[in-house]
Amino acid sequence: MDELELLKKDWQKKEEHLPKLSYSEIHKMLWKKSSSIVKWILTISILEFTVPHLLYLLPGMKDSMDIYDKLGIKSLSTGLWVIGYAITFYFIFLFYKRYKEISTLDNAKNLMEKIIKTRKTVKYYIIFGLSFLFLTCVMIVVGIYLNDHLSDVFPSGNNENISPEKFKSILLWTMSIFSVVLVAVMGLIYFLLYGLLLKSLNRNYKELKQLEI
Amino acid sequence: MNKELEHQFVTELENNQNIVHKVCTLYTNDRDAHNDLFQEITIQLWRAYPKFRGESKFSTWMYRVALNTAITLYRKSKRTIKTQNYDSVIFRIKADEYDATEEEQLKLMYQAVKQLGDIEKALVFLYLEDKDYREISETLGITEVNARVKMNRIKKKLRTILNP
Repeated sequence: MDELELLKKDWQKKEEHLPKLSYSEIHKMLWKKSSSIVKWILTISILEFTVPHLLYLLPGMKDSMDIYDKLGIKSLSTGLWVIGYAITFYFIFLFYKRYKEISTLDNAKNLMEKIIKTRKTVKYYIIFGLSFLFLTCVMIVVGIYLNDHLSDVFPSGNNENISPEKFKSILLWTMSIFSVVLVAVMGLIYFLLYGLLLKSLNRNYKELKQLEI
Repeated sequence: MNKELEHQFVTELENNQNIVHKVCTLYTNDRDAHNDLFQEITIQLWRAYPKFRGESKFSTWMYRVALNTAITLYRKSKRTIKTQNYDSVIFRIKADEYDATEEEQLKLMYQAVKQLGDIEKALVFLYLEDKDYREISETLGITEVNARVKMNRIKKKLRTILNP
Protein backbone atom coordinates (compact mmCIF):
# COMPACT_ATOMS: atom_id res chain seq x y z
CA MET A 1 0.00 0.00 0.00
CA ASP A 2 1.08 3.54 -0.73
CA GLU A 3 2.79 4.97 2.35
CA LEU A 4 0.94 8.24 1.98
CA GLU A 5 -2.42 6.50 1.84
CA LEU A 6 -1.66 4.93 5.18
CA LEU A 7 -0.72 8.32 6.54
CA LYS A 8 -3.87 9.89 5.09
CA LYS A 9 -6.08 7.47 6.99
CA ASP A 10 -4.30 8.21 10.22
CA TRP A 11 -4.15 11.96 9.54
CA GLN A 12 -7.91 12.20 9.41
CA LYS A 13 -8.23 10.27 12.66
CA LYS A 14 -5.77 12.62 14.35
CA GLU A 15 -8.26 15.51 14.42
CA GLU A 16 -9.53 14.66 17.89
CA HIS A 17 -6.07 15.12 19.37
CA LEU A 18 -5.64 18.64 18.05
CA PRO A 19 -5.74 21.59 20.48
CA LYS A 20 -9.06 23.42 20.80
CA LEU A 21 -9.08 27.17 21.27
CA SER A 22 -12.09 28.93 22.71
CA TYR A 23 -14.00 31.80 21.10
CA SER A 24 -12.42 34.36 23.43
CA GLU A 25 -8.89 33.00 22.88
CA ILE A 26 -9.28 33.42 19.12
CA HIS A 27 -10.95 36.80 19.55
CA LYS A 28 -7.97 38.09 21.53
CA MET A 29 -5.61 37.14 18.70
CA LEU A 30 -7.30 39.48 16.22
CA TRP A 31 -5.67 42.50 17.80
CA LYS A 32 -2.18 41.12 18.19
CA LYS A 33 0.59 42.57 16.09
CA SER A 34 1.67 40.68 13.02
CA SER A 35 5.31 39.71 12.73
CA SER A 36 5.17 38.63 9.11
CA ILE A 37 8.09 39.31 6.78
CA VAL A 38 5.93 41.78 4.85
CA LYS A 39 5.56 43.79 8.04
CA TRP A 40 9.32 43.60 8.51
CA ILE A 41 10.01 44.74 4.98
CA LEU A 42 7.66 47.68 5.50
CA THR A 43 9.24 48.68 8.83
CA ILE A 44 12.81 48.39 7.57
CA SER A 45 11.94 50.23 4.37
CA ILE A 46 10.30 53.12 6.21
CA LEU A 47 13.46 53.37 8.34
CA GLU A 48 15.62 53.29 5.24
CA PHE A 49 13.59 56.04 3.64
CA THR A 50 13.45 58.31 6.69
CA VAL A 51 16.59 57.87 8.84
CA PRO A 52 19.11 59.36 6.37
CA HIS A 53 16.84 62.39 5.96
CA LEU A 54 16.26 62.80 9.68
CA LEU A 55 20.03 63.02 10.16
CA TYR A 56 20.02 66.41 8.47
CA LEU A 57 17.77 67.75 11.18
CA LEU A 58 20.55 67.31 13.75
CA PRO A 59 22.20 70.67 14.56
CA GLY A 60 25.72 69.29 14.01
CA MET A 61 24.82 68.05 10.58
CA LYS A 62 23.53 71.46 9.57
CA ASP A 63 26.89 73.01 10.35
CA SER A 64 28.68 70.40 8.34
CA MET A 65 26.48 71.27 5.36
CA ASP A 66 28.34 74.60 5.28
CA ILE A 67 31.34 72.66 4.01
CA TYR A 68 29.72 72.50 0.57
CA ASP A 69 29.49 76.28 0.57
CA LYS A 70 33.04 76.77 1.77
CA LEU A 71 34.39 74.25 -0.70
CA GLY A 72 32.64 76.13 -3.48
CA ILE A 73 30.42 73.25 -4.55
CA LYS A 74 27.16 74.52 -3.09
CA SER A 75 25.18 74.89 -6.33
CA LEU A 76 26.36 71.51 -7.55
CA SER A 77 25.39 69.83 -4.30
CA THR A 78 22.00 71.60 -4.16
CA GLY A 79 21.25 70.43 -7.70
CA LEU A 80 22.17 66.89 -6.78
CA TRP A 81 19.98 66.98 -3.66
CA VAL A 82 16.95 68.11 -5.64
CA ILE A 83 17.39 65.26 -8.09
CA GLY A 84 18.05 62.90 -5.18
CA TYR A 85 14.80 63.82 -3.41
CA ALA A 86 12.78 63.54 -6.60
CA ILE A 87 14.12 60.03 -7.16
CA THR A 88 13.50 59.12 -3.50
CA PHE A 89 9.84 60.16 -3.74
CA TYR A 90 9.47 58.15 -6.90
CA PHE A 91 10.83 55.10 -5.06
CA ILE A 92 8.45 55.66 -2.14
CA PHE A 93 5.51 55.82 -4.54
CA LEU A 94 6.65 52.66 -6.34
CA PHE A 95 7.22 50.84 -3.06
CA TYR A 96 3.78 51.78 -1.74
CA LYS A 97 2.13 50.64 -4.97
CA ARG A 98 3.85 47.26 -4.91
CA TYR A 99 3.33 46.81 -1.18
CA LYS A 100 -0.41 47.29 -1.68
CA GLU A 101 -0.45 44.52 -4.28
CA ILE A 102 0.72 41.91 -1.75
CA SER A 103 -2.23 39.71 -0.81
CA THR A 104 -2.46 36.46 1.10
CA LEU A 105 -5.33 35.52 -1.19
CA ASP A 106 -2.96 35.07 -4.10
CA ASN A 107 -1.53 31.67 -4.85
CA ALA A 108 1.81 30.93 -3.17
CA LYS A 109 3.92 31.64 -6.25
CA ASN A 110 2.29 35.00 -7.04
CA LEU A 111 2.52 36.04 -3.41
CA MET A 112 6.24 35.26 -3.34
CA GLU A 113 6.77 37.08 -6.64
CA LYS A 114 5.06 40.20 -5.34
CA ILE A 115 7.05 40.21 -2.10
CA ILE A 116 10.29 39.77 -4.06
CA LYS A 117 9.26 42.61 -6.41
CA THR A 118 8.50 44.92 -3.47
CA ARG A 119 11.81 44.03 -1.88
CA LYS A 120 13.61 44.69 -5.15
CA THR A 121 12.20 48.22 -5.18
CA VAL A 122 13.89 48.82 -1.83
CA LYS A 123 17.03 47.12 -3.11
CA TYR A 124 17.24 49.50 -6.06
CA TYR A 125 16.55 52.39 -3.75
CA ILE A 126 19.43 51.32 -1.51
CA ILE A 127 21.76 50.94 -4.49
CA PHE A 128 20.70 54.41 -5.59
CA GLY A 129 21.13 55.75 -2.02
CA LEU A 130 24.59 54.23 -1.68
CA SER A 131 25.67 55.56 -5.07
CA PHE A 132 24.33 58.94 -4.12
CA LEU A 133 26.22 58.85 -0.84
CA PHE A 134 29.36 57.86 -2.69
CA LEU A 135 28.85 60.63 -5.24
CA THR A 136 28.50 63.17 -2.44
CA CYS A 137 31.74 61.90 -0.91
CA VAL A 138 33.49 62.11 -4.31
CA MET A 139 32.18 65.64 -4.65
CA ILE A 140 33.72 66.61 -1.31
CA VAL A 141 37.01 64.93 -2.26
CA VAL A 142 37.09 66.87 -5.55
CA GLY A 143 36.15 70.02 -3.64
CA ILE A 144 39.09 69.47 -1.28
CA TYR A 145 41.40 68.78 -4.19
CA LEU A 146 40.47 71.97 -6.01
CA ASN A 147 40.52 74.17 -2.90
CA ASP A 148 43.68 76.01 -1.94
CA HIS A 149 42.45 77.55 1.31
CA LEU A 150 41.56 74.48 3.28
CA SER A 151 42.51 75.98 6.62
CA ASP A 152 39.48 78.29 6.25
CA VAL A 153 37.17 75.36 5.61
CA PHE A 154 38.58 73.20 8.38
CA PRO A 155 39.81 75.65 11.03
CA SER A 156 40.69 72.86 13.45
CA GLY A 157 43.54 71.79 11.18
CA ASN A 158 45.00 75.29 11.26
CA ASN A 159 46.94 75.22 14.47
CA GLU A 160 48.84 72.04 13.64
CA ASN A 161 52.44 72.25 12.62
CA ILE A 162 51.92 70.76 9.21
CA SER A 163 52.26 72.29 5.79
CA PRO A 164 49.05 73.07 3.86
CA GLU A 165 50.05 70.50 1.19
CA LYS A 166 50.43 67.77 3.77
CA PHE A 167 47.17 68.80 5.42
CA LYS A 168 45.46 68.59 2.05
CA SER A 169 46.82 65.16 1.24
CA ILE A 170 45.90 63.84 4.69
CA LEU A 171 42.41 65.22 4.27
CA LEU A 172 42.07 63.74 0.79
CA TRP A 173 43.16 60.30 1.88
CA THR A 174 41.04 60.33 5.04
CA MET A 175 37.97 61.39 3.13
CA SER A 176 38.51 58.86 0.33
CA ILE A 177 39.03 55.95 2.70
CA PHE A 178 36.10 57.07 4.85
CA SER A 179 33.82 57.22 1.77
CA VAL A 180 34.67 53.72 0.61
CA VAL A 181 34.37 52.23 4.10
CA LEU A 182 31.08 54.02 4.79
CA VAL A 183 29.46 52.84 1.56
CA ALA A 184 30.82 49.29 1.95
CA VAL A 185 29.67 48.94 5.56
CA MET A 186 26.20 50.30 4.86
CA GLY A 187 25.87 48.05 1.83
CA LEU A 188 26.98 45.02 3.82
CA ILE A 189 24.50 45.69 6.64
CA TYR A 190 21.70 46.06 4.16
CA PHE A 191 22.39 42.93 2.17
CA LEU A 192 22.91 40.84 5.30
CA LEU A 193 19.65 42.11 6.77
CA TYR A 194 17.55 41.24 3.75
CA GLY A 195 19.54 38.14 2.95
CA LEU A 196 18.64 36.67 6.32
CA LEU A 197 15.06 37.91 6.27
CA LEU A 198 14.24 36.47 2.88
CA LYS A 199 16.44 33.38 2.89
CA SER A 200 13.64 30.85 3.15
CA LEU A 201 11.31 32.81 0.88
CA ASN A 202 13.92 32.80 -1.87
CA ARG A 203 14.54 29.09 -1.36
CA ASN A 204 10.84 28.25 -1.57
CA TYR A 205 10.37 30.49 -4.57
CA LYS A 206 13.25 28.78 -6.37
CA GLU A 207 11.67 25.40 -5.63
CA LEU A 208 8.37 26.47 -7.20
CA LYS A 209 10.15 28.04 -10.16
CA GLN A 210 12.19 24.90 -10.78
CA LEU A 211 9.00 22.95 -11.31
CA GLU A 212 8.32 24.98 -14.43
CA ILE A 213 11.49 23.92 -16.21
CA MET B 1 -21.16 46.31 11.42
CA ASN B 2 -17.58 45.72 12.56
CA LYS B 3 -18.69 43.87 15.67
CA GLU B 4 -20.90 41.69 13.56
CA LEU B 5 -18.05 40.93 11.15
CA GLU B 6 -15.79 40.13 14.10
CA HIS B 7 -18.30 37.75 15.60
CA GLN B 8 -18.92 36.07 12.26
CA PHE B 9 -15.20 35.61 11.67
CA VAL B 10 -14.33 34.28 15.11
CA THR B 11 -17.22 31.82 14.99
CA GLU B 12 -16.17 30.55 11.55
CA LEU B 13 -12.56 30.22 12.66
CA GLU B 14 -13.52 28.51 15.89
CA ASN B 15 -15.47 25.92 13.90
CA ASN B 16 -12.69 25.42 11.37
CA GLN B 17 -9.66 25.81 13.62
CA ASN B 18 -8.52 22.24 12.95
CA ILE B 19 -7.21 23.31 9.54
CA VAL B 20 -4.95 25.93 11.12
CA HIS B 21 -3.81 23.56 13.86
CA LYS B 22 -2.88 20.96 11.29
CA VAL B 23 -0.81 23.48 9.33
CA CYS B 24 0.90 24.53 12.57
CA THR B 25 1.64 20.92 13.51
CA LEU B 26 3.29 20.34 10.16
CA TYR B 27 5.37 23.50 10.11
CA THR B 28 6.47 23.82 13.73
CA ASN B 29 8.18 21.59 16.27
CA ASP B 30 7.06 22.82 19.66
CA ARG B 31 4.07 24.25 21.45
CA ASP B 32 5.32 27.85 21.53
CA ALA B 33 6.07 27.93 17.83
CA HIS B 34 2.70 26.26 17.16
CA ASN B 35 0.84 28.98 19.07
CA ASP B 36 2.90 31.68 17.45
CA LEU B 37 2.13 30.48 13.95
CA PHE B 38 -1.54 29.98 14.85
CA GLN B 39 -1.69 33.60 15.94
CA GLU B 40 0.00 34.90 12.78
CA ILE B 41 -2.37 32.86 10.59
CA THR B 42 -5.34 34.22 12.57
CA ILE B 43 -4.11 37.80 12.03
CA GLN B 44 -3.66 37.21 8.30
CA LEU B 45 -7.07 35.53 8.02
CA TRP B 46 -8.73 38.40 9.84
CA ARG B 47 -7.02 40.97 7.61
CA ALA B 48 -8.10 39.17 4.49
CA TYR B 49 -11.61 38.45 5.79
CA PRO B 50 -13.27 41.60 4.42
CA LYS B 51 -12.25 40.38 0.95
CA PHE B 52 -13.79 36.97 1.53
CA ARG B 53 -17.09 37.18 -0.26
CA GLY B 54 -18.34 33.70 0.26
CA GLU B 55 -17.59 32.71 -3.33
CA SER B 56 -15.84 29.66 -1.96
CA LYS B 57 -16.30 27.81 1.31
CA PHE B 58 -14.71 29.47 4.34
CA SER B 59 -12.52 26.40 4.83
CA THR B 60 -11.27 26.42 1.21
CA TRP B 61 -10.33 30.06 1.58
CA MET B 62 -8.60 29.25 4.87
CA TYR B 63 -6.27 26.68 3.31
CA ARG B 64 -4.80 29.29 1.02
CA VAL B 65 -4.23 32.02 3.62
CA ALA B 66 -2.94 29.55 6.22
CA LEU B 67 -0.46 27.92 3.86
CA ASN B 68 0.67 31.27 2.45
CA THR B 69 1.37 32.43 5.97
CA ALA B 70 3.26 29.27 6.90
CA ILE B 71 5.33 29.09 3.69
CA THR B 72 5.91 32.72 2.87
CA LEU B 73 5.01 35.25 5.53
CA TYR B 74 6.02 33.58 8.76
CA ARG B 75 9.50 34.34 9.97
CA LYS B 76 11.55 31.16 10.24
CA SER B 77 13.90 32.36 12.95
CA LYS B 78 11.09 32.21 15.47
CA ARG B 79 10.52 28.60 14.66
CA THR B 80 12.78 26.19 16.41
CA ILE B 81 13.24 23.97 13.43
CA LYS B 82 16.00 21.46 13.67
CA THR B 83 17.87 21.77 10.44
CA GLN B 84 18.67 18.14 10.29
CA ASN B 85 19.69 17.21 6.81
CA TYR B 86 18.29 14.55 4.63
CA ASP B 87 21.28 12.22 4.99
CA SER B 88 21.16 12.12 8.75
CA VAL B 89 17.51 11.10 8.60
CA ILE B 90 18.31 8.26 6.28
CA PHE B 91 21.12 7.27 8.54
CA ARG B 92 18.91 7.31 11.61
CA ILE B 93 16.03 5.27 10.24
CA LYS B 94 17.40 1.84 9.62
CA ALA B 95 15.78 -0.65 7.28
CA ASP B 96 14.85 -3.15 9.97
CA GLU B 97 12.89 -0.52 11.88
CA TYR B 98 10.54 -0.27 8.95
CA ASP B 99 9.24 -3.77 9.46
CA ALA B 100 7.86 -2.84 12.83
CA THR B 101 4.20 -2.35 13.63
CA GLU B 102 1.90 -0.03 11.71
CA GLU B 103 2.07 2.48 14.51
CA GLU B 104 5.83 2.51 14.38
CA GLN B 105 5.65 2.88 10.64
CA LEU B 106 3.33 5.86 10.96
CA LYS B 107 5.64 7.47 13.46
CA LEU B 108 8.49 7.15 11.00
CA MET B 109 6.29 8.55 8.23
CA TYR B 110 5.43 11.62 10.30
CA GLN B 111 9.10 12.11 11.08
CA ALA B 112 9.93 11.81 7.41
CA VAL B 113 7.25 14.34 6.39
CA LYS B 114 8.60 16.76 8.97
CA GLN B 115 11.96 16.67 7.24
CA LEU B 116 10.53 17.78 3.90
CA GLY B 117 10.89 21.32 2.57
CA ASP B 118 8.15 23.95 2.99
CA ILE B 119 6.69 23.51 -0.49
CA GLU B 120 6.81 19.73 -0.26
CA LYS B 121 5.02 19.89 3.08
CA ALA B 122 2.30 22.04 1.53
CA LEU B 123 1.72 19.46 -1.19
CA VAL B 124 1.63 16.60 1.31
CA PHE B 125 -0.71 18.58 3.56
CA LEU B 126 -3.21 19.26 0.78
CA TYR B 127 -2.95 15.65 -0.33
CA LEU B 128 -3.63 14.39 3.19
CA GLU B 129 -6.58 16.76 3.38
CA ASP B 130 -7.96 14.97 0.33
CA LYS B 131 -7.64 17.93 -2.02
CA ASP B 132 -7.49 17.16 -5.73
CA TYR B 133 -4.59 18.19 -7.98
CA ARG B 134 -6.56 21.09 -9.38
CA GLU B 135 -6.92 22.66 -5.95
CA ILE B 136 -3.31 21.86 -5.04
CA SER B 137 -2.06 23.50 -8.22
CA GLU B 138 -4.27 26.57 -7.73
CA THR B 139 -3.16 27.04 -4.14
CA LEU B 140 0.53 26.87 -4.99
CA GLY B 141 0.40 28.59 -8.37
CA ILE B 142 1.81 25.70 -10.39
CA THR B 143 0.27 23.64 -13.16
CA GLU B 144 -1.66 20.47 -12.43
CA VAL B 145 0.92 18.39 -14.31
CA ASN B 146 3.74 19.88 -12.25
CA ALA B 147 1.82 19.27 -9.04
CA ARG B 148 1.56 15.58 -9.97
CA VAL B 149 5.23 15.38 -10.93
CA LYS B 150 6.24 17.01 -7.66
CA MET B 151 3.95 14.71 -5.66
CA ASN B 152 5.48 11.64 -7.26
CA ARG B 153 8.93 12.92 -6.42
CA ILE B 154 7.88 13.46 -2.81
CA LYS B 155 6.48 9.94 -2.60
CA LYS B 156 9.78 8.61 -3.93
CA LYS B 157 11.71 10.74 -1.46
CA LEU B 158 9.61 9.48 1.44
CA ARG B 159 10.11 5.91 0.29
CA THR B 160 13.87 6.46 0.23
CA ILE B 161 13.79 7.83 3.75
CA LEU B 162 11.82 4.84 4.97
CA ASN B 163 13.66 2.18 2.93
CA PRO B 164 17.25 3.31 2.68
